Amino acid sequence: MNSLDSGPEKHFDEVTALLYLERQLELDQAREFAEHLVSCNACSTLLRALEKESIWLREALSTDAESIPARVIAAPERTNAHWGWIAAFGLCAAGGYTLWNGFIGPAMSGASEAGFGQDSVLMTLFFSGAFWRGWDAMRSLTEFLAMATLGALAIWLLRKQWKRFTAIAFVMGAMICTLAMPQSAAAADIERGNPSYTLPAGQEVKTDLIVWATRARIDGDVDGDLIVWSQNVTVNGHIKGDILGAAQELRVNGPVDGNVRAWVQTLTINNSVAKNVLAMTGVTYEDERATIGGTLTVLAGTMEVSGHVTGDLLALVGDLTVNGSLGRDALVRGGQFTVGPNAQIAGKTRYIGDHQPDISPSAKLGSPVEITYKKRGPDYSRWDYYWHQIMLWGASFIFGLVLLFAVPAFFASAENSANRFGPAIGFGALFLFATPIVAAIVCATIVGLGVGIAALLLYLICLYASQVFIASWLGHKIINAGVGFGPAIGRLALGLAILRVLRMLPYVGWLVTLVMIMWGLGALVLALHRAMRPQAVPA
Amino acid sequence: MDRHKTTEAMSEAELARLLSRVQAGDSEAWGELYRNYAPAIFRFCRRVLPTREDSEDATTEVFMKVRQKLGTYDSSRPFTAWLYKVASNHCWDTLRRRRIRQDLETGDLDTLPLEHPDPGQLEQLQAEHTSKEVRTGLAKLPDRARMALVLRYYADMSYEEIADTLGVRRQFVGVLLLRARHQLRDALSGGGDPQKFLSGRKI
Repeated sequence: MNSLDSGPEKHFDEVTALLYLERQLELDQAREFAEHLVSCNACSTLLRALEKESIWLREALSTDAESIPARVIAAPERTNAHWGWIAAFGLCAAGGYTLWNGFIGPAMSGASEAGFGQDSVLMTLFFSGAFWRGWDAMRSLTEFLAMATLGALAIWLLRKQWKRFTAIAFVMGAMICTLAMPQSAAAADIERGNPSYTLPAGQEVKTDLIVWATRARIDGDVDGDLIVWSQNVTVNGHIKGDILGAAQELRVNGPVDGNVRAWVQTLTINNSVAKNVLAMTGVTYEDERATIGGTLTVLAGTMEVSGHVTGDLLALVGDLTVNGSLGRDALVRGGQFTVGPNAQIAGKTRYIGDHQPDISPSAKLGSPVEITYKKRGPDYSRWDYYWHQIMLWGASFIFGLVLLFAVPAFFASAENSANRFGPAIGFGALFLFATPIVAAIVCATIVGLGVGIAALLLYLICLYASQVFIASWLGHKIINAGVGFGPAIGRLALGLAILRVLRMLPYVGWLVTLVMIMWGLGALVLALHRAMRPQAVPA
Repeated sequence: MDRHKTTEAMSEAELARLLSRVQAGDSEAWGELYRNYAPAIFRFCRRVLPTREDSEDATTEVFMKVRQKLGTYDSSRPFTAWLYKVASNHCWDTLRRRRIRQDLETGDLDTLPLEHPDPGQLEQLQAEHTSKEVRTGLAKLPDRARMALVLRYYADMSYEEIADTLGVRRQFVGVLLLRARHQLRDALSGGGDPQKFLSGRKI
């Protein structure tokens, strides 16, 4: 026990007073201190002050102003929430019905009216599209899903045994699964240019050919698909499968028995393509000697069609000139549309845009051009724009409800993760830009297209889901109305409405959307990371 | 101080029955135990750990440990005391793993002010600050100081239990608590960085 000499008076120090207060002094020390208190006003006052401070501290620490997170309290409710699942499925069905009747049905109907039947549009975009390679890919996808299900089951069964090594085990397991899977691309001939690659004329590659090079020149034949990443690609040989290309410039001078799928700056087609062409380009030029056996689908800045297209033309372009022949319909959406004097369009021609099309009187058209003027960007003067926004809000709200009822704890976790603005934005940006790149690489190299497609579909779902978590976070910041499903639904509805309004703003709406997606995607990633860690919720 | 900060008051007999059911592998009993005690453990973690997310994680991890260690629980001791002990050990380990502990281990009294604090100023400080401000101030304290205050004045742990959890001598606990109080007073009165106490202060 310590004492202080303060002039003529002697006092005990603060530690001794605290120990006395908390009954931690030895008996004789406590007695001495108690005797001192009788005669010392200063020490008595100190003791009372410390006692009040103890009470003050206990009260401050015991006060519960903060709500208990759903992740902590909601998880045990899951076993009793069968009604939640029923409601979720009901809402899902209602959402699907709304989505079909509100968007897909009218869109299909419109496309059909424009001459694009389900066979041509859906088959072109999905089943004959850039990533579809037939049932082999589907088999890979099925195998992947089966493996993923087995993996998830194994993780669930072993979760109690795995602690801090869970993440490592998960990654290692995934790698083993990946290596164990059938590799559809393993049969391909892979060539890396140094810096250029040339397949000499007269040579034939008897399988798929995959090429990375600064410049690639394919003078020989390929009895399979040609998959190429290069600055400059010239194909003079005969390609008996598809061409999948990512390049600055791609020139197709030789015949192609399959499809051409290209993501290039400039695409030139000078020969026959037996099936479809799907391209995202700056400039697309189809020479007058060229023929396309199927549908030509192009997203381009500038495009000229001078050859023959047996199927439909589907174009979203800044400037399109058609001076060749189309065997079926043309649906053009964009800026300038010119129909030259040599043009022949057997089916219907429909144009949606903000310019008057330039139609040569010499052009031979199956029917008059159907023109729909539409200003670029949102048309705030039209009521159906606002109706469309309300429907979009409704669709996102239903999607959010399904998530909320199906995975309440995960939903709350993702909403909480949105509080970590910096990490969420950072991870969101990373996954937003990296995922499609990785998926595209996976499509062509390691595991096969099935995995790539699954990853891209999941990616799109995550992008859409990002708004839900940010909306809920926003609603929480504004109304913060208690816990449970009722307030959570209210917060979600309010947040989505605010986000929808912000996204409608001219000039900054796109920025709001971008930030929202990055932020929400990052929150989702953080929540997924947390969910993969061991949980102690009751069974 | 009521140690049973649970959502539902539970008698000792009820708790004993519940625990025996849990030990027998009854998942519903485990759910009931979790629902009763998880909020209190979450609040405890919330006062000790830096973020809400950390507290959520810690709550689930503490209960995972509880489930594993329930066989070692001595039923002659209060269950909440044991539960807080598991929680405090877990949180302290978490904090320790994250950073090299900066607190000084010494329990020398010369690192404390040797003057009596002004009781008037102390009362004014208490009157001026809400519970929320106190919790905010608490969050600014060094880990060990914060842990000590929470263990003592929220979890109602004894000096022996605090010493055991924080790995210090029992005789040092009083000093630790008083130093933590001083740091909290300074944090609330805007008296500068509470970390300055780490190097000791002598008057």
